[in-house]
Amino acid sequence: MNLNAMRALLLRDLRLAIRHGGESLMPLIFLFAVIILVPLGIGPGPNLLSSIAPGMIWVAALLASLLPLEQLFRPDLDDGTLEQWWVGGRFPVSLVGIRLFSHWLVTGVPVIAFAPLAAEMLYLPDGALPVLLASLLLGTPILSLVGGLAAALTLGTNRGSVLLSILVFPIVVPVLIFATGAVSAAADDLPARAHLGLLGALLILAVTLVPLTATAALRLNIE
Amino acid sequence: MIPQFNYAFYVWSSYGLFAAVMAWQFFQPLVQRRKIMAELREQEALKSGGYHDTGA
Amino acid sequence: MTFHRLKVAFHRLGSPPTFFRLTRLLPPWLWAGFAVTALIGLYFALYVVPPDYQQGDSFRILYIHVPAAWQALFTYVVMAVLAAIALIWRIRSVEIMAMACAPVGAALTALCLATGSLWGKPMWGTWWAWDARLTSMLVLLFLYLGIMGLYAAFEDRRKGARVACILVLVGLVNIPIIHFSVEWWTTLHQGATIRFFGESRMHSSMLPPLVFMTIAIKLMFGAAILNRAGNDLLDQDRRKNWVGRYLGDKP
Repeated sequence: MNLNAMRALLLRDLRLAIRHGGESLMPLIFLFAVIILVPLGIGPGPNLLSSIAPGMIWVAALLASLLPLEQLFRPDLDDGTLEQWWVGGRFPVSLVGIRLFSHWLVTGVPVIAFAPLAAEMLYLPDGALPVLLASLLLGTPILSLVGGLAAALTLGTNRGSVLLSILVFPIVVPVLIFATGAVSAAADDLPARAHLGLLGALLILAVTLVPLTATAALRLNIE
Repeated sequence: MIPQFNYAFYVWSSYGLFAAVMAWQFFQPLVQRRKIMAELREQEALKSGGYHDTGA
Repeated sequence: MTFHRLKVAFHRLGSPPTFFRLTRLLPPWLWAGFAVTALIGLYFALYVVPPDYQQGDSFRILYIHVPAAWQALFTYVVMAVLAAIALIWRIRSVEIMAMACAPVGAALTALCLATGSLWGKPMWGTWWAWDARLTSMLVLLFLYLGIMGLYAAFEDRRKGARVACILVLVGLVNIPIIHFSVEWWTTLHQGATIRFFGESRMHSSMLPPLVFMTIAIKLMFGAAILNRAGNDLLDQDRRKNWVGRYLGDKP
């Protein structure tokens, strides 16, 4: 029963994302807008660009993941679907988890897929690329989880978008630090394992705690 | 004890900020309370019918 | 039997009229205590303590900066404990108290940051340094602002308080991680971090003003959150009977 509901929700979310093609591409377009604007703003010097590349790619990925957050639960709240999650003996936590997972598939995975291109445009040293991809693979799910939590918290308000960024930003500071630390270390030919390990620890923490907290927040908001 | 004036500016502005924050914490709830009480009184007066618009 | 009586007393304390009476009764005393300890503290800090041979007079800023920083952090702990109680037992006056902590904590964090930068200008030659503690405090300020913003954004105040309480607990889990990561980040990027105190020990004559200012700020905190909580309660319950009775008692 519950597995069916989870699969149905995932397929529905992905189908909706594909049908709203343009909207779902916004995070990616935003990422590249930043990647293109930064060299235009500070000059095309390869040294400077390659030294700021990890930070730029990560900040852009972080901001890009914020874009679709406001619509994460809102349409389902408006048409009453969200309340259905709490009836029929389902575990709402699993549905919330699926929703966050599909948010990651739609915003995180495209960013990871196009990260090599962005890295090339900002002259990131080739040796650092695998670490960049690893850090994105570990880090973007955290961004989706924390963002989803913020979306759940602000659901009952009518000015969610302003609040969202101010709620997400303090919480994701460690993610940004460890991820860019890993990529910078790799760019300097230093081992990045410690950074990635800490990032993985954060991911485990977020995966265990966020769905439960987000479910509690949603529950309060639809009460 | 001769005060060093090049430092004194920073010291005095810190203590000034301290005073300002403390005063803010003291007066803001006071002002807020006055506002709420005035609204409540008005509401009460409207309910009992003895409302006189003193501002007019 | 005594336990039962305590439980009854506790619940009575949580009932809005009793709690409101408390918020009217205690703050004057706390403010008076604040005034006395702050005056003693200021007297020590500005007159009694001699200038430091290295830093001259600017170490006197620390008598504001350090107690403010302590209380800014302690406020978060108090708020988190209240938030946990509020979420578990659903006591309304505790929710309101937790929410009253946020603006006071934000003001103290801002004071800590401002005095930190006023200390940094003569000492480091710059208003702002990406020092681990200053950076963590800046993140803490935004956490406080987020909590206040979330609480204010709800039309249903009670719902807003409970949702914001969840955010308070999320922040509690995160603050140590943020602090650790920021500390790590500064050691990575600067080699040696600039420290506020150095490793030097404080001379015993420097201690009394610190103690008095710390107590003063704690008393201020207690008074301010009770004042704010009382106002909030009055504002939310304006249509309840007990407010009408309160107004009737106070023409």
